[in-house]
Amino acid sequence: MFRIGLMLLVAVTAFDQMPSTGQAAHSSDELTAWLDTRFSDLWIEAGAEPAAVDDATFLRRAYLDLLGTIPSVATTRDFLADAAPDKRKRLVEQLAAETKSAAHLSRVWRRIMVPGGSPNAFMAGQFEPWLQQQFASRVPFDEFARKLLTAKGTANFGAINPASNAGPNAGSPVAFYMAVGNTPDSLASSFSRVFLGVRIGCAKCHNHPFADWRQEDFWGMAAFFAGANLTGQPGAEVSDNKVSKIKPMESDKEYEVRFLWSDAAAKVPDDKFPREVLADWMVSKQNPNFAATIVNRVWQQLCGQGLVPQVDDLDQAPAKQRAQVLDDLAQQFADADFDLYWLIEGICKSRVYQRPSEAPEAVSDNPLTTHRPLKTLSPEQVFDAMEQALMLPVARGDQSPRYNGQRDQLIGRLNEATSDAPDQFRAGIPQALLIMQGALTSNATDLDESRTLRAVVDAPFLESAEKIETLYLAALTRKPEASELERMRTHVEGQSSRDDRRRAYAEIYWALLNSPEFILCR
Amino acid sequence: MSTAFDRDYSRRDFLQMSLAGMLGVSYSGWFGKLAAAAAASGERHRSCILLWMSGGPSQLDTFDLKPGHKNGGPYAQIESSVPGVKISEHLPGLAKHMQHMALVRGMTSKEGDHARATYLMLTGYREQEAVRYPALGSMVAKELGKEDHELPNFVSISPQRFGGGGGSGFLGPQFAPLVVSGASDNPLARANMSVENLLPPTGVTERSLENRFALLDFLQTEFGTRYKKSEAAAAHRANYERAVRMVKTQAKSAFKLEDESPALRDAYGRNRFGQGCLLARRLIERGVPFVEVTLSGAGNNGAGWDTHGNNFDLVKNLSEVLDPAWATLMQDLKDRGLLDATLIVWMGEFGRTPVINAQNGRDHFPVAWSTVLAGAGIRGGQAYGDTGASGMQVEKNPVTVPEFMATICSALGIDPTKENITEEGRPIPIVERGGHPINDLLAQARA
Repeated sequence: MFRIGLMLLVAVTAFDQMPSTGQAAHSSDELTAWLDTRFSDLWIEAGAEPAAVDDATFLRRAYLDLLGTIPSVATTRDFLADAAPDKRKRLVEQLAAETKSAAHLSRVWRRIMVPGGSPNAFMAGQFEPWLQQQFASRVPFDEFARKLLTAKGTANFGAINPASNAGPNAGSPVAFYMAVGNTPDSLASSFSRVFLGVRIGCAKCHNHPFADWRQEDFWGMAAFFAGANLTGQPGAEVSDNKVSKIKPMESDKEYEVRFLWSDAAAKVPDDKFPREVLADWMVSKQNPNFAATIVNRVWQQLCGQGLVPQVDDLDQAPAKQRAQVLDDLAQQFADADFDLYWLIEGICKSRVYQRPSEAPEAVSDNPLTTHRPLKTLSPEQVFDAMEQALMLPVARGDQSPRYNGQRDQLIGRLNEATSDAPDQFRAGIPQALLIMQGALTSNATDLDESRTLRAVVDAPFLESAEKIETLYLAALTRKPEASELERMRTHVEGQSSRDDRRRAYAEIYWALLNSPEFILCR
Repeated sequence: MSTAFDRDYSRRDFLQMSLAGMLGVSYSGWFGKLAAAAAASGERHRSCILLWMSGGPSQLDTFDLKPGHKNGGPYAQIESSVPGVKISEHLPGLAKHMQHMALVRGMTSKEGDHARATYLMLTGYREQEAVRYPALGSMVAKELGKEDHELPNFVSISPQRFGGGGGSGFLGPQFAPLVVSGASDNPLARANMSVENLLPPTGVTERSLENRFALLDFLQTEFGTRYKKSEAAAAHRANYERAVRMVKTQAKSAFKLEDESPALRDAYGRNRFGQGCLLARRLIERGVPFVEVTLSGAGNNGAGWDTHGNNFDLVKNLSEVLDPAWATLMQDLKDRGLLDATLIVWMGEFGRTPVINAQNGRDHFPVAWSTVLAGAGIRGGQAYGDTGASGMQVEKNPVTVPEFMATICSALGIDPTKENITEEGRPIPIVERGGHPINDLLAQARA
């Protein structure tokens, strides 16, 4: 029986390549070089030079950041054995070209755009397939935002499980409107936050106490959406009407369409609808906050913290801090025609991405420092990493946790306690109990059920040290340190019976899956 | 079962732990004096049991009857232990404890929709887009709970309610309720009063469990040494420690209802709500500051107190579940000297229309309705507020939702004006600004 499992462990991964969609004139290598120079200058100035993480850590990071999962034991061994000096660069380019990377990106952006507390957050399930199509066909980010800002039509409101209508046309940008509430005020708040990095929501009722936002700013933005859904019902179709004014409930005042940071009403030409005018302004290369917000969000996802930590309050960041890296990088992103993959690849190949995670002493709040924070895996990443580590069946059917409800249960429960910021870990007792003793872990650490354990425990040609090493590679993408190997071997060899020794491996694997290192990416 | 994990705490241990928790907190003004007095007298910290009546219970057929009026139902009123305070004939057990109870007959609010009203009553705030308000239970857990306690500081027993409120909102998952499921009314069913995933999987021996935890502890320590300053690593470890402790110790004994005498279990009622109240007492006894027990149906009635039709049969059935459970809870707490330290809150999301509809039912009515406070910090033996002969409006001593919430906080020794900070840095007081406690309901009036 172990042979089947062993084959799974050493099987070579076949890569699914995404269709090439025309070569952009700019190269992500140039971006990497630019970042390396810029950060080198900053570090010299600060008198500190960061180290680079080892191959194993880099591999796990890149897999989680680009595909949302962890590598197999075979992939890890191959990568560690590869002596080519450019293997990290090739890995990043290869992973970014996989179809799976668009699926991962769509989950990342769904989380950014539809936070957990959104009025109809369940609609995000129908938004995600649309996001995936955009990323898979590499739609430039300005065009992507414009499509959203001017979306029309309807989505299947109330259908919680989009799997039933999956297909090439599944998913709709209008599902985003419905998810956040589909009213002018909720759309104004959401679009301003997501694409401009400012929270104007408080100014809905009163002038903002800390920031500069006035009611005119908020309702001026809301007025652009006044004609998009005249019914006020979240499930209603989204269309365009020539309405460019809004009168809030419980107010006598009427507000005209107005851009943020502007003192006058916006002009809506006869041949355009207000949302088109808003899109022209918002995604323009001349709008410094659009590019900066996207760059800052991508940086936060990849490096754990934004280049400016206030990703949703960019207006409150000191200009000096923005000038260090963010503003110039944003300009480059605009010059590269808002190519998201160019940005991601460029960052992942850079030295700053390869900094070690936080030092035991003297952690600084400065996101440009020589260390980055630990990053908490998202609920989807937790499931995908477990699926990989436990070699769970993935074929459609009741055996597969993807399809038998266990994936949904795990993600649903973890979602109840997830932070929007990757450098924070939030969970409660129910989440810990689920990972400790839920069905998924229980089956996967059962000597008779678990494919990984079956492949390792009874392998006749492996010494205990090699078995332990394989379990470490499967769960944590690295070999054990000497002290760890010693502790684990003592545990196995201290058992008196063969059954207890076998069980000891299951106990070790359980501990590895529950260890902080499994869920906190170094 | 062998004993490596059997570590139960005595009541004295709890008193000491509670005291330590209390002294670590600084209160302002009269709360400081209250706390100091409590500490000096060796009093344990206070706890709260919320009896949540999902669907909106009829005040006119429980605590504010209108006999002789066309709005009154067919039930008779009975005398209670407090002369002049009369309640439904179907609540005879509770009538004996009226000296500890304050009936709030002048509740008034503005939400008549189940989900929005549930949100309002569980958080004290009206639902709105910008802020995810925490439930009262989460705020009490934060104020009175101990971080290193074996049990969670907020437990919700068989919750079933309208809408999505009732969670910890912006306070975060460490103050979220631990849900105890009670999917079946059959007292023998395994789902009764169990915590999801608390039991180790079948086939995993205690020794194996110990091995797992020891190995995990080793890995956590290694990781913690490498990432000493990481808040994420510290949060991960703290959370696991609480979960592991639950698996190992307290939870094990706390949830063992079979340790109680059969006679006592019978007295509470062999149903989900009755056994839930018994579990609530066991949890309070073990130092949990906030426990919520839901009554959302009786027999085949799955709609709970939402009695749009056939109101009088349904409320009678519900009362027959409510009365023995709650009355036994009062007596049991009293017998154990816990009633003075335990506040019991009885409420639903709103009351019901005085006018009886064509289906012999009553509809949603937030204008004038009833809630009940009993036990710790409460001036018992009174009916506060008056809805006149018809019950159509509050004619004397209205109580708003913020006032009601502030009164609960004061009875628990919590400053209702204390602010929590949202993720965006916005300060939000525990009770909405302007909500003052009702002194007449409190045993110790606010200076």
